[in-house]
Amino acid sequence: MASINDISNEFVRNEIDEYIKEPDEREGLIATYAAISSRMQSIGAALVDGQNKTVDALTVEALADGVPALEIMDDGLIAAMRIVGIKFRENFIYVPEVLSCARAMKAGMAHIEPILSASGIKPLAKVVMGTVKGDLHDIGKNLCIMMLRGTGFEVIDLGVDTSADEFLAAVEEHEARLMGMSALLTTTMPNMAVTIEAFIDEGIRDDVKIMVGGAPVSQEFADDMGADGYGKDAMECVALAKRLVKEDAAQEG
Amino acid sequence: MEKIDKHEYQKRLDRISEIFSGMMQRADELATQRCLYKNRFDQCTAKFGCRNQSKPAVEGDLFHCVGDDKLDYRSAWDT
Repeated sequence: MASINDISNEFVRNEIDEYIKEPDEREGLIATYAAISSRMQSIGAALVDGQNKTVDALTVEALADGVPALEIMDDGLIAAMRIVGIKFRENFIYVPEVLSCARAMKAGMAHIEPILSASGIKPLAKVVMGTVKGDLHDIGKNLCIMMLRGTGFEVIDLGVDTSADEFLAAVEEHEARLMGMSALLTTTMPNMAVTIEAFIDEGIRDDVKIMVGGAPVSQEFADDMGADGYGKDAMECVALAKRLVKEDAAQEG
Repeated sequence: MEKIDKHEYQKRLDRISEIFSGMMQRADELATQRCLYKNRFDQCTAKFGCRNQSKPAVEGDLFHCVGDDKLDYRSAWDT
């Protein structure tokens, strides 16, 4: 049986020792990391620490040296995300730290994407996501983006305070078939309808499926403003995105 | 350039989705107990103003959150 001292990376060793208390999870992670190369452990350490630039640089180096992309995903990125998940569940870290780790994972995945593309593996769809004009509350949107990326969608994140013109420009530039808008405030919620109107005025409303979400938004409101769907949280957002992609493909076909 | 098998890649995506799904459930539970913008050092990561933000000791640091999370923290957010 592997021991914690078989893990060469001090940071990873300390993380497991300090934060992973449940025996099965601890044994599983020790066995996993004891078998992982020190180079992949370094990627994992950087990811758990939310260091996206380090994950980026180490992934580039590893790929250049011929480390297979799936090995980087397994041993560098996914194994580390298991540690992040447990730390979050046990209240050692919170959503801002989780989002930093997700950004670090994305930094690594960005270098794997060209290999996926060359292998004929396409994202499920391109999704443009943003918080509407006047609204700076972005944590729900960021969780949706994390979940969408983790499911295989390519996401173009427009951030907060996004105008209708910015949504329009991004959808056209990236030829996205799917778009998501979020709002937390009742005062900014009407900007979702304003954005949908802008797509109608531009004559491209039928070219894109529009999802909406956020605390004050409801299915009824989504229907009234002419959105294609409403999701109450990140899990529903992914399920809705998958359904809309299917509908879009059926309409295209 | 190496080739990646689609099914092998899908297996990895499924594992990531499983890990992330657990995190989303936890985030939903946590949202009822603690402001989601508050990091592990009780600093505020929001891009908007909130009455619970307190000036940091060191200029340039994130605001400190003085909310006690006993009441609904959302009413403190600038709207």
